[in-house]
Order: sequence, then structure tokens, then C-alpha cells
Amino acid sequence: MELLKTSDLVKKFGMMSAVKGINFHIEEGRCVSLLGPNGAGKTTTLKMLTGLLEPTSGSIYFKGEKAKDLRQFIGYLPQYPAFYNWMNGKEFLVFAGQLAKLNRKEAEKRSEELLERVGLTNAKKRKIGGYSGGMKQRLGLAQALIHRPKILILDEPVSALDPLGRREVLDMIREIKQETTILFSTHVLHDAEEISDDILIMHDGEIAISGKIGTVIEQYQQPILHIELESQADEWLKTIESYSFVSEINIQGYKASIVLKDIVNGKQTLLKDIVDRRLPIRKFEMAQTTLEDIFMKVVKA
Amino acid sequence: MTHLMVLYRKEMAEMIRNYKILWIPIVFVLLGVTQPVSSYYMPQILDTFGGLPEGTILEMPLPTGEEVLMNVLSNYGMLGVLVLVLSGMGIVSAERQSGVAGMVMIKPVPYSSYILSKWAGLVTVTLISLGIGYVASWYYTSLLIEPVAFERIFQSVAIYSVWLVFVVTMTLFFSTIMKGNGSVAFVTIFVVFAISTITAILGKYMKWSPATMTDFTGQVLLSGELESSFLLAFIITIAIIIVVLISSIQIFKQKELLG
Repeated sequence: MELLKTSDLVKKFGMMSAVKGINFHIEEGRCVSLLGPNGAGKTTTLKMLTGLLEPTSGSIYFKGEKAKDLRQFIGYLPQYPAFYNWMNGKEFLVFAGQLAKLNRKEAEKRSEELLERVGLTNAKKRKIGGYSGGMKQRLGLAQALIHRPKILILDEPVSALDPLGRREVLDMIREIKQETTILFSTHVLHDAEEISDDILIMHDGEIAISGKIGTVIEQYQQPILHIELESQADEWLKTIESYSFVSEINIQGYKASIVLKDIVNGKQTLLKDIVDRRLPIRKFEMAQTTLEDIFMKVVKA
Repeated sequence: MTHLMVLYRKEMAEMIRNYKILWIPIVFVLLGVTQPVSSYYMPQILDTFGGLPEGTILEMPLPTGEEVLMNVLSNYGMLGVLVLVLSGMGIVSAERQSGVAGMVMIKPVPYSSYILSKWAGLVTVTLISLGIGYVASWYYTSLLIEPVAFERIFQSVAIYSVWLVFVVTMTLFFSTIMKGNGSVAFVTIFVVFAISTITAILGKYMKWSPATMTDFTGQVLLSGELESSFLLAFIITIAIIIVVLISSIQIFKQKELLG
């Protein structure tokens, strides 16, 4: 079922259009990643969805109806979550829960549950001012979930974390994914590939590509051949480009990535070349273009 | 209503944790007590610091209790206002700067509840400070100088509190529209003293001004009676407070809350 839909959503800051009329929808129960380079308009889009930012034009629909105030249904974790540093972790969660219309008892119970879940039970009585970046991010996640939102919106949830913290938060998102719809922005493609079902790639204020992650990759996927040599073979690598089965070649020192149109023919011809010329080969690998390649293509286009 | 209560409790908890609820009343008590004490001991103080030349006849009439209390209120008008503005300057701006205001507003909280809880917090600390400070002052004045009727104390403090509530409402307003804490304090103090000065200079045309509350406080304290223009000034002051609060809420709605 369609949970959230935007129609021609536009946001202008003065003369600059940050978001240029985007249309997309999010299915209930999916984990959707919003990809794009810095400045693509990801955060602006998310803020409009949460209601913290008024769109210049266009509208947002929630469960088919034009949305007014969606805050009750949304859990949001901003890129840089801030807290009252004089409160302890539990106090903040109870406070956030009460603001989200839970009564005190429910808020207390839910806070304990979430503290357990994000691994902060031992730190719940400590002042938030003394928390590490990773702990704050986890507390941020807990406060977003406190009122069991219909959709969880996370803005760059792991970008500021070290590898360990990143791992923890990603694992948590994977778990939460079972219960609620998630929309998260990131510029780390690997994370998107790892945990999301659908992707939206934004570039320059527009949605460039959207769809199921598998479908997108399939649709844009091309066979690619990675060749690595032990010594310089520029001469030969340059001649490859003229073969009719090559659509693109990218040479970096001893390595070359070749996008092929015809796998069978290409593979055989190139292998034969290598044998004939007695080239010192280190690696000859068939692969498929990844999300990163698709992303780069979109962003550079 | 519940949002307002939750947010108000948070305001009060914060003021307890950072001891604002303690030190602001202490400042008011100190300001209130030094006046009667120094009036009473002035001859001895002068003596200790070298005294006066032999033969000088100095009549030093002890001021009346009402006069002492008027001086106390005029101290509150300067230092008290300064303390209230400085302690309240960051009430919204600091939360906007840190981003925590956005964390609050991302929950289904009405914008009015956020601003009104701040206002209620400021008013609470203001009334507590003024009340305790003034009662302490009254006690020492009665002890050292002369008793002052409770009725006049009550009336004068009630009228004076309207002026201080006006001051903290302005602080809240400027804290909502501006970002830097320093500039909030500067502009608020500038505006408050400008209103006082203009009212003093153009008294005739400014009978409605909130700053006349300080004059009415003196009147009621000294004579126990109020000029008829009081009602007008009182109603207008309350109206200004309400309008300023509504504007603060409206402006707060327009602000971008998460950087």
C-alpha cells in the first residue's frame, strides 16, 4: 500500500531551487534509501516530509489523503540530533514520549524498552552531555521510535559515525525495518545496497532514478570486465577501445575496466589478445556494474 | 494542554538543575534587603569611614518605610531587570541554535505550547523572585525603620509585577526573533529602557505606556491611591503582552528549526 506520496514538490531558497518538483511514493513496509551527492536536496526533501519546512509548491499525500500535520505519524532523526544535555537519557525519552502524546506511564515503559533495544540501558542515568557521538545517534533513534511512528525518517544516520558505530546503527535499522516503513538518506552507497529494498537517487534537486533496488540494478546493469596487468601495457589497452564490442573503457595505471556490449565475443577476443601478446596478466574478472557505477553515471551525466 | 504542562515542567526542571530558580531570587533578596539596612545604618557607616568634621550638624532623617520600599523597587527596575533579561535571553534562541528546539517541534507539539511554556517559566521565576525579594525587604524595613501596611505592599507588588512580566515577555520575543544571545539581551534592554525614558520625558502623552506601571507602584505605595489613568495603562499593558506573545508564536512558526 502506498503510504507516502509527493506530487511536484518544490522548494526554493531565494533564487535557488533546492528541490525541483519531485514525484515519488513510498510503499508501506519498505525500507527506502534516498541517495545523492551532497547538495542534491536530500535533507530539504526529508524536512518537507516531516513538516519542518514548508514546500514552496506541490503537496504531500499520506495514505492517499493530502497531509496537514504528519508529525504524529513520523519519527525523525535529523543529521545532527541535539538534546537537552542536562537531562539523562531516560528523562529525554520520557519527555519526547509525552510530547508525542503518550501518557507518563506508557512513556516510561516505552523508554525502558527502547533503551534496552539501542543498548543504552547502562547509560540511562547518565547526563546526555557526556554521551559519545554514537550514543547520541542511538538515543536519537530511540526518540524517533518512541511513539511507534508509521514511518521512520533518518537523515544521514551513519555518516558521522566511526566504523563500529556505523555497524551498530545499521544493524539496528535492519531490525527496525521489520516493524515500520523507513526512509533514510545517505551518500554511502554500500549502506543503501545493504539494507534497503527500494532506492531513490536524487541529483541536483530531481529524482534521477527510482525503483526496487534489484530492478534498478538489473535495468542499468551492464557486464563489466576488470583486467589488471603486472606491467605497463598502455599500447594494448588503448587498442581495445576500437573493438566493436566495447562500449566504454576506463584505464587507471595497470588496471582497466571495460564495459562490454557482447560478453562472449569480447571475453574471447581479449583473452586471445593477452595470450598472443604474452601479456603479464594478474587479474581477469567478469563482473556486473554495481550501484556505485549507476550512481556515478547519474551524477556525472 | 498536556503539551503545555510537559513543556512547562521541563522549563522548571531546567531552572532547578541550573540553579536559576535559586540565584535569581537571591539577587532580588539581596537588592531588597540592602536598602533598608543601609538606610538604617547610614550614620554609623559614615562614622566608621572617618566621620564628619567636628561641629558639623547633620540632620539625617530616617526615611519612611514607604520611601525605602520605593527605592527597593527602583533597584529592581535597574538591576532586577538586567538580571531577568540576562538570565532569559537564551530561552528560545539557545535552543534554536543547538537544534534541540527542532527535536521538540518534530513531535506533534503546537507551536503555541512551546512559546507559552517558555513564557510561563519566565513569569514563574520572575514572580517568585520579586515576591521573595520584596517580602524580605518588607520584613527588614518593618524591623529597622517602621512597619508598612500589608495592603500597600500587596498592591504595589501586584502592579510592579505587571511591569516585570512585560519585560520578560519582551525578552522572550527578541529571543524568538534573533539568534545571538548577546544581541537579544542588548536589544531587549535597549527597548525596555527606551520605553521607560520616553514615558518619563513625554509623561503627558504616554499615560498608557507599560512603563507607567512603575509610577503607579510608587503612588500606591506612598498614598494608597491610584490615578484614574491606571486602568487604561493596565489594560493596554496586558494587551501588548498578549499581542507580543501571539507574534512570537507566529514568528516561531516561520523559523527554520533544524539547521
